[in-house]
Amino acid sequence: MLPSAGVYYFPWEINSSVPEGRTLRTFGRLCCYDLARSEAILTTQHDSAQYQVCVDTKFVEPFQAQVGSFYMVLGETEHREETSSPVVKARILTCVEGMNVPLLEQAIQEQRKYFNEREEQRGNGTS
Amino acid sequence: MQSESKDEEETPSLHWGLDPVFSAFARLYIKDIIEMRESKQVPGIFFYNGHPVRQVDVVGIVVQRKERDAFYNYGVDDSTGVINCVCWKNPMVAETPLSGHTSTPSSLTVFEQMKKLQETVSQKTKLEIGDIVRVRGHIRTYRQQREIQASCYYKVDDPVCDVQISRMLELPCLYREVYDKPFNCPEEIQSGLEGQNFSIRMLHEKVQGFLLENKIQTFYQQELEAVDSLVSLAGVHLPSPSCQESKSNSSSKRIHSVFKEAVKMLQEKGVVFQKPGSSKDLYHVTDHDKELFKVTLDVIREDCRKPRHAEKGCHFLHVLTCVRQSYIPSLAEVVMHRVLELLESNSDVVSTMEGCYMVF
Repeated sequence: MLPSAGVYYFPWEINSSVPEGRTLRTFGRLCCYDLARSEAILTTQHDSAQYQVCVDTKFVEPFQAQVGSFYMVLGETEHREETSSPVVKARILTCVEGMNVPLLEQAIQEQRKYFNEREEQRGNGTS
Repeated sequence: MQSESKDEEETPSLHWGLDPVFSAFARLYIKDIIEMRESKQVPGIFFYNGHPVRQVDVVGIVVQRKERDAFYNYGVDDSTGVINCVCWKNPMVAETPLSGHTSTPSSLTVFEQMKKLQETVSQKTKLEIGDIVRVRGHIRTYRQQREIQASCYYKVDDPVCDVQISRMLELPCLYREVYDKPFNCPEEIQSGLEGQNFSIRMLHEKVQGFLLENKIQTFYQQELEAVDSLVSLAGVHLPSPSCQESKSNSSSKRIHSVFKEAVKMLQEKGVVFQKPGSSKDLYHVTDHDKELFKVTLDVIREDCRKPRHAEKGCHFLHVLTCVRQSYIPSLAEVVMHRVLELLESNSDVVSTMEGCYMVF
């Protein structure tokens, strides 16, 4: 069985409204890694606010954690009692230090815009 | 915009080649590859918004990897969907390098370069989960699941996601400019004069194939008109039913004229020709006219003995004149060209320089 597609989420979109077990990919700067608890935190700045994504690294260990570097994560969400936002259980965690983050954001927006437009047009076509 | 649900609007397979998407590796989202409709006429061909798709090109992250004896199954995720890609192992990598090789300096460098190549290939085709891969191939359905049979695949070095980002930026434009625009050309071609030209071109190719495959030496046009597979082709593309005044013989007349045009085209290409002595309607197939080949070869052989031609061979125009004098006065230049090309491809003659031929 193939897993579901890892849809792009901006880090600031990962909150309690994301359904359980959702496959997604997101990004952020690795600010800390707790080897004992297999937990990493990715942070990003957006609109002068700081956002954090908690990543469960059990499936991708061992990995060379470079604190301060930019990472891309792909995995499934899991809601836990202790946090309001879901934890991303990483299947893939890649260091992408040096990536053009604004350009990636733009690319994600473009892709979403295209699919929204298409959805709308198809919706009009059938109704 | 055309809706995909209109199943009956499948372009006839004859017209698929007119759509550039058909011969390209379509760069589609994996979601679309999984969802698009398979052709009813030809399995393995799919339709995205009316465009026939035969081959695709995807870039994504490897999320699953299963090794088999001869191939790998890679699950590839492009953030819109995940598809299985069947990637055959490269036999060159598996092979052990040649041993007991005599090591002259030159063979050593070749040997080393081969080794380097093997290493590069193995690096580029050995994929782990999390790697970025580019796959090109055709689509097939295996156990009700769509998958890509890779004809080419390699690992993409994308440390800062440049390749993925540029593709994400490019695809929406490509979709808007190409894939989402309906392809209407066949309808325009079917009607009007262009339609007729198209069907004649089509028919003349098929007639040529028919004549060569069946080793036909001579034929009358009427005989071609009795071959079902050819007639159906001439019938399909008849323009506008409005001018078919339901006269019983009007369609046969039209078929006759289409065949006439097609044969004329073959004549202009030198594939068939007529001889003045035989019936006016009898056509000879150039490739199968043994006498013509023999006469041509004799002319060249004869003349190459003469000191004048011994070195350079005889010129095309000279050969043409001689064959016209001794065999068919009205022989067309194209027919002569075709005969000489065939003789040359059989190594019966050799062209020494521009337009000169020689027999050894």
